[in-house]
Amino acid sequence: MAVAAYAQIDWMPMTTVPDGQDAFAAEAITHLDALYRGALRLTRDPDQAQDLVQDAYARALRYQHSYQAGTNMKAWLFAIMRNLFWDRFQKGRPPALSIEDVGEFSLYDRMRDGVTEEGPEDTVLDRIAAGEVVEAIEKLSPLHREVVLLVDVEGFAYKDAAQILGVPIGTVMSRLHRARQHLQKSLYDYAVESGIVPGMGRSA
Amino acid sequence: MECDDCVRRLDQLIDRELSGLELEEVQHHLDGCGDCTKRYKFEEGLKRLVKVSCEQGHAPAELRERLRQILR
Ligand SMILES: [Zn+2]
Repeated sequence: MAVAAYAQIDWMPMTTVPDGQDAFAAEAITHLDALYRGALRLTRDPDQAQDLVQDAYARALRYQHSYQAGTNMKAWLFAIMRNLFWDRFQKGRPPALSIEDVGEFSLYDRMRDGVTEEGPEDTVLDRIAAGEVVEAIEKLSPLHREVVLLVDVEGFAYKDAAQILGVPIGTVMSRLHRARQHLQKSLYDYAVESGIVPGMGRSA
Repeated sequence: MECDDCVRRLDQLIDRELSGLELEEVQHHLDGCGDCTKRYKFEEGLKRLVKVSCEQGHAPAELRERLRQILR
């Protein structure tokens, strides 16, 4: 069952929602902006994002009984949406992670090596536009994208991200580390291309 | 704690996943190490940039309206 990964762990045993539908709906809707932004990052398409969010809410409503009042509803909703995304939009379960490796890549090291005068690493982040960051995130593989989304954007703790993704905390940490390296590589390439930092002629 | 040990924990530090003795040791190292402090500030700044970049925009009004119907 697609909704299971998260729902079964922390929200069992099933309980009924004490304050009924109104309280559930009222809280659920407060997470709409976050879910929609997450859906946009996952699907990379506004129409698909709307469909995904709407289906996630419909499913949440249907599985309302498995949500335990007082626990992390935002995490529960993200788990539902994320599972739907893999079921429907990716047509299957998440693959085992086998993505080409950028190796150890540190944007900080490249920045520091790139320019010798006044700490470029302090100012370079100010010169990267939000749109470029979004683009770099959307270029990540879905498995990397979703962990960045959960931890960096939504601020979920590792243990919540682990439950949402249905993997051990150690997997969250290693995946996140890899994801950040891919992201930093993209941002570095962009920074070189746009002249924010001089190219080193070894953009690995 | 050596720089390598500190750098290896930077992910957890910026994600606020360190606590207790480990956090104290990292903080103690950062207090005495300008290199690691700069690296830490950079990684933290990048995390913030990712968050801020993705937090722009709202769900479309028509979606919100449809959901109100569903959730009614
Ligand atoms: Zn150090």
